[in-house]
Amino acid sequence: MSDTKDATLPPGIRRLHEGMARVWANPSGLGALTVVNHTSVGLRFMVTGAVFFLIGGLLAMLIRTQLAFPGNAFMSHETYNQVFSMHGTVMMFLFAIPILEGVAIYMIPKMIGARDLVCPRLSAFGYFCYLFGGIILTSSLVLEMAPSSGWFMYTPLSSGEYSPGLGSDFWLLGITFVEISALSAGVELVVSILRTRTEGMALHKMPLFAWYILAMALMIVVGFPPLILGSVLLELERAAGMPFFDVAGGGDPVLWAHLFWLFGHPEVYIIFLPGAGIVSTLLPVFARRPIVGYGWVVAAIVIMGFISFGLWVHHMFTLGIPQLALAFFSAASMLVAIPTGIQIFVWLATLWLGRPVMSLPMLWIVGFLVIFVLGGLTGVMLALVPFNWQVHDTHFVVAHMHYVLVGGMLFPLLAGLYYWLPLVSGRMPSERLGKWSFWLIFLGFNVTFLVMHWTGLLGMRRRVFTYDSAMGWDIYNLISSVGGFMMSAGVALLILDITLHFRFGRKAPQNPWNAGTLEWAMPKPPTPYNFVSLPRLETRHPLWDDPELPRTIAAGKHGLNTIEHGRRETWGSDALTGKLREVVHLPTNSWWPFFAALALAVVCICLLVKLYPLAGVATLVAVVFLLRWSWENGAHPKAAPDATVAPGQPPLHSRTMNGPGVWTMSVSHLANGSLYLSLLFGWFYLWTVAPEWQMPETSPLSLPLLAGAGLALTLGTAWLAKLVRRLRGHSDSGLGGGMYLVAGLGALQSALLGLVIWRAELAPSETAHDATLLVALAYVLIHALLGALLCLLQGLRVGYGFVGAEAPLEPVVVLRLWYYNLIVYWSLFVAVWVMPTLLGGAS
Amino acid sequence: MKRLLRMTHPIHLVVGPTLWGLWFVAIYAGLSVACSVSPPAPEQGTLTGINVAVGLATLATTVLLLGLSWAGVTAARRAELRRDCYFAFTSAGIHLFSAGATLFIGYPVVFLPPCI
Ligand code: HEM
Ligand SMILES: [Cu+2]
Repeated sequence: MSDTKDATLPPGIRRLHEGMARVWANPSGLGALTVVNHTSVGLRFMVTGAVFFLIGGLLAMLIRTQLAFPGNAFMSHETYNQVFSMHGTVMMFLFAIPILEGVAIYMIPKMIGARDLVCPRLSAFGYFCYLFGGIILTSSLVLEMAPSSGWFMYTPLSSGEYSPGLGSDFWLLGITFVEISALSAGVELVVSILRTRTEGMALHKMPLFAWYILAMALMIVVGFPPLILGSVLLELERAAGMPFFDVAGGGDPVLWAHLFWLFGHPEVYIIFLPGAGIVSTLLPVFARRPIVGYGWVVAAIVIMGFISFGLWVHHMFTLGIPQLALAFFSAASMLVAIPTGIQIFVWLATLWLGRPVMSLPMLWIVGFLVIFVLGGLTGVMLALVPFNWQVHDTHFVVAHMHYVLVGGMLFPLLAGLYYWLPLVSGRMPSERLGKWSFWLIFLGFNVTFLVMHWTGLLGMRRRVFTYDSAMGWDIYNLISSVGGFMMSAGVALLILDITLHFRFGRKAPQNPWNAGTLEWAMPKPPTPYNFVSLPRLETRHPLWDDPELPRTIAAGKHGLNTIEHGRRETWGSDALTGKLREVVHLPTNSWWPFFAALALAVVCICLLVKLYPLAGVATLVAVVFLLRWSWENGAHPKAAPDATVAPGQPPLHSRTMNGPGVWTMSVSHLANGSLYLSLLFGWFYLWTVAPEWQMPETSPLSLPLLAGAGLALTLGTAWLAKLVRRLRGHSDSGLGGGMYLVAGLGALQSALLGLVIWRAELAPSETAHDATLLVALAYVLIHALLGALLCLLQGLRVGYGFVGAEAPLEPVVVLRLWYYNLIVYWSLFVAVWVMPTLLGGAS
Repeated sequence: MKRLLRMTHPIHLVVGPTLWGLWFVAIYAGLSVACSVSPPAPEQGTLTGINVAVGLATLATTVLLLGLSWAGVTAARRAELRRDCYFAFTSAGIHLFSAGATLFIGYPVVFLPPCI
């Protein structure tokens, strides 16, 4: 079959393509900063991630050079501490997660038959946060002020007393900034997968890759906030002396460990799931049959997503946890082998029952299977508490970790790279160079890390910068280092191969691997609009069942095949059945994401160098940019210049009551709620566990003021709900005035809360109790202000005619925020006022 | 809302693990709080109020999950749409796994004194 672009198209269709190209065009030059399209943003994520991989790899080589010989003086121990801390940090936060998100951002719309993700500006914003955060973090290496307490930054080692200087601050601020990008991609992917699949793609017909990414994205949304909270608290401790993790002030360093691993363990699965998703996508293609047991895989994904949150304490087995709790977490850790096992059996069965062909991507998959299974086995060993006590913090753990991470993530990633490369470049990779690089990396990897199991069992602790020859570790370390350099040679060859292929690769046919998924029905390289027309799909393998699909799509034979209205649009469909519900109109290129991220970068740098007033100004600027960005939405003429839809088509999403925006708000609140619950966890944890925690006799918070603020919030929510109910009945009388009234109630709530804080006279730098209370109150205050502000904007928008009976979506979205605030406020009231007052000075 | 309660709705894919998660958080938090408020004497062995409470919670959760799993199987048998059948069966499997996970993680209460 010829490439879809080569087909000679009739003039009508050609005009359609040209119109699409105009509306979806990516500007060049400086304008490239305004690009929001998922293809470009996904590529940017991947290329940036690859650069960070090289930086992390360089650091790894420095580590291996230092450890190659006993008593080596290649690096001082201070430098070594920085190098291994940055290696772990860069690999986990700046390479693994972002590059996988990049793959997801790039692939998901193409696989589910959409033209873009639902919030394109959010992905662009996420990318800039990642880029700036990464630059800030890595610049610490150049400045020789890098963090040096390891990638998990345990307190008190990372606290002010033992880590003066800026190292820890770089980590805490930089990582929090980068996490914004992970979270925005997470939210966006969830909503896109659920709500913008092409017509007919019911949930159980979705490609498996989308299931994996859905699980990954939800795990990011729930799993990252605990770390964000931890980082904020630790930074507050370092910068303002609020003693959350300091025993003397009533804090507890173990709280950091909990918050970190509440994020850290799921993180491992967040990295593994997309890797497994790539395997489950490629394996059926090369086995030339559908995957065996689609339902089993879905079940395994769901189980894995949940169970992995119940294991975090297995990283803390040596921290002094009651035996019974150890038993719980040990058992839970073993259980997670079951869903992993299910997937491995599914993959083996698919290979067994298919007619496998060996090619380069498949080679990487085989490498993955070997390495990952070995890593899984040592993982089950580590879940056994007595064995864990033996090898804790030795190179055995380092070896296990790399078998799981490199085996479970890097190998599938490279398989996916070779597999999807033709889609990006339109050319085929070379088999010869690729095989060389595979064998170098595969053998180099095993030489490096297999022997690390031995050094670990012989008692070599991790994070030591040198060792004595008398320990008998010399030869193992040397072998390990040689293996490391072998692997680097393999990576170098890989880069060479990929670079050369862009020039010399053979031109790829339309569906080079004979795959069944929709992304191969696109022109190569992809156009910014992906598909000129969006097909109706009824099967899991559209291209196997209808090999003509690429041609009919390009000929504009399917849905949404007009462009005269000048909007970027894609289908909005029912999450379960894939029935069409609305036409989603997407925003076009915009400067706001770039400006907002830039302002946040300024905030981050100001906080680093302790220019607090300037940081405050930059925060305000960032808020203004973000609000300005939100202004161009819904019925704003820039968002939908022409609101008519062709007869028979569903309405524009901003003209409905349940567009994807409502889902975006709800998924964001999942993240926000996770942050809030982590904060409550911290409060109760310190209250019950911290040895020096002090609870005042009576609550410092004024009951009348607290209750008054709650009342204002409750009234405001009720009023807003009433306005939305009226909108549902198609009436917008009193909408504008109502919005101002609700905004006023929000302002009243904020003012009363401000009074509560002011009157409480807290001493946050003296006791952890007051510090935690202050953070909790600040949290609700920020939400109260946001609620008021958004209603104020809604009032204005009603005046401009952007919101009303014809365009009722936005009040529904804002109402979600108010409901959230309501729940959070009253539950916090119970936690910080009612319970302490009832239980009083406990401990 | 009513749609969500049917065993054929995909929301049930996550109901089992969610119940499991709530149980897990409840026993872990309960254990920690009970141990900090009134730890039983170590001589008492495993027959403490804490073990009994955790054991009962475990059994109740397991039974509930097994019940849901069975409900899923019946719903799958009765389903007319392929989609409904598919989701009911998959959810039933996940419920069953969650029941097993609850039992497997909860069983050490029989052997271990709680707070040491
Ligand atoms: C390119 C080959 C790699 C080599 C030779 C290598 C080598 C090492 C070594 C020797 C350590 C131990 C430092 C110590 O504990 O003293 C280490 C730590 C670590 N590595 Fe790698 N690594 C490689 C790739 C990766 C990748 C791809 C990832 C993640 C996706 C990764 C993640 C980590 C993490 C998280 C740590 C822990 C750092 C810490 O203990 O704080 N590494 N690596
Ligand atoms: Cu773990």
